[in-house]
Amino acid sequence: MDIKFALETFWSLAAALPLTLELAATSIVLGSVLALGLALARLSGILALDLFARVYVFLFRGTPLLVQIFLIYYGLSQFPAVRHSIFWPILREPYWCAVLALMLNTAAYASEIIRGGLLSVPHGQVEAARACGMGRFMIFRRIVMPQALRQALPGYGNEMISMVKATSLASIITLMEITGVAAKLISESYRVIEVFVVAGVIYLAINFALTRLVAFAEHRLNPQLRAPLAISAELKGEAH
Amino acid sequence: MSAAVTAPVAIRVHDLHKSFGPLEVLKGVSLDAREGEVISILGSSGSGKSTLLRCINMLEVPNSGTIEVAGEAIRLKTLSDGRSRPADQKQVDRIRSELGMVFQSFNLWSHKTVLENVIEAPVHVLKRPRAEAVEEAEALLAKVGIADKRNHYPSHLSGGQQQRAAIARALAMRPKAMLFDEPTSALDPELVGEVLRVMRGLAEEGRTMLVVTHEMGFARDVSSRVVFVHKGTIEEEGPPHEVFTRSKSERFRQFIKS
Repeated sequence: MDIKFALETFWSLAAALPLTLELAATSIVLGSVLALGLALARLSGILALDLFARVYVFLFRGTPLLVQIFLIYYGLSQFPAVRHSIFWPILREPYWCAVLALMLNTAAYASEIIRGGLLSVPHGQVEAARACGMGRFMIFRRIVMPQALRQALPGYGNEMISMVKATSLASIITLMEITGVAAKLISESYRVIEVFVVAGVIYLAINFALTRLVAFAEHRLNPQLRAPLAISAELKGEAH
Repeated sequence: MSAAVTAPVAIRVHDLHKSFGPLEVLKGVSLDAREGEVISILGSSGSGKSTLLRCINMLEVPNSGTIEVAGEAIRLKTLSDGRSRPADQKQVDRIRSELGMVFQSFNLWSHKTVLENVIEAPVHVLKRPRAEAVEEAEALLAKVGIADKRNHYPSHLSGGQQQRAAIARALAMRPKAMLFDEPTSALDPELVGEVLRVMRGLAEEGRTMLVVTHEMGFARDVSSRVVFVHKGTIEEEGPPHEVFTRSKSERFRQFIKS
């Protein structure tokens, strides 16, 4: 393996890192908002909303992300109505098409993760909140959501890692993120091993950082799972 | 301990009916709790005694009948499908905040410490200043004997400690009356005493309490009145020294014998 070439490759690929991170972060954040809406629709008890969310999850979880990307990037532009709509400035950009596809896709998976988190909160705790005179929104915000998030976090960590890797599909619609740049380098140099090994290492590094971040968040959000002695020692430490 | 017959009515239940689907659980129950009274509600499982208690703060919505708390009737409306719902959820929320409830399974919020559990509703529902709520919470935790557990999470406490924390949480709302739904039924036998002691202390303070329980000793010694619910109606009712010694109800005599 040519170390010098690998280093050069590393710097070329590192330049594409911001785009990969941006794609992942944007679609994860937007997707989480949509996912929460879908999870609440599933649990709303309103048949129309429930059905809509079920069908949505079925479609976006049941078809390949690549197919979804193609449909959005190549498919939507076939319709004159789309080309003449106010969304066209966004939908003609490959970047936003990729974000849209990734976001719609992750929302389907994440909504099920969030739904599981919401269902894990014991009903008795909701009842106790009601008995104290809390309204629905306050119960959701102060009792249900904090616990649902903690419960959902490990599963959501998985989904975020999947999303980081899924951004590589954006290279298919001309985006020069890490995989896109790697493919270009290979077509110039024919050195498949070096380029893809370096690309793989970069993805690995991103996901390592992400895993640590999720683990840290889990630790911060779950003080009740830590040993009671550690808590009191910690609190004493803060007091002095 | 016995409340004066002239004390104002804290909770009035009138002709309460409640069905779950085809199953009629309450078949016209009426009950007045005067201020300072401690009423033990007894009955075998499935008799409707817990449902009766849960109807008072609308955790179950009765099909018909009225609930009055401190003279104010909870307004209900009938939906098109025949079920009833509170007409004004704000009214229900406010009345709930005036009634403290203690559950069989404690139902402490597991992501909050004991202290946070106790100050949660005073700060966020009653909008009391946090410092004031903390001060009062600490006094209440001392009163129920778990001041040293204030920074612990519920999962690190014994059942008895959790239930005492739940009692402190209910007291922190400065309730007009306390509702206890089988507060000792989920506890190991050796932990029952510590919870009953706290409840006895509250009774001696003159608090209005409705207690669904299986603890005959508590019903006999602490309550000012015993109500025996059987198959959705009140089968026997009276001061404990009367009903426990000379009840007219054959079923009640059977019940206390078993």
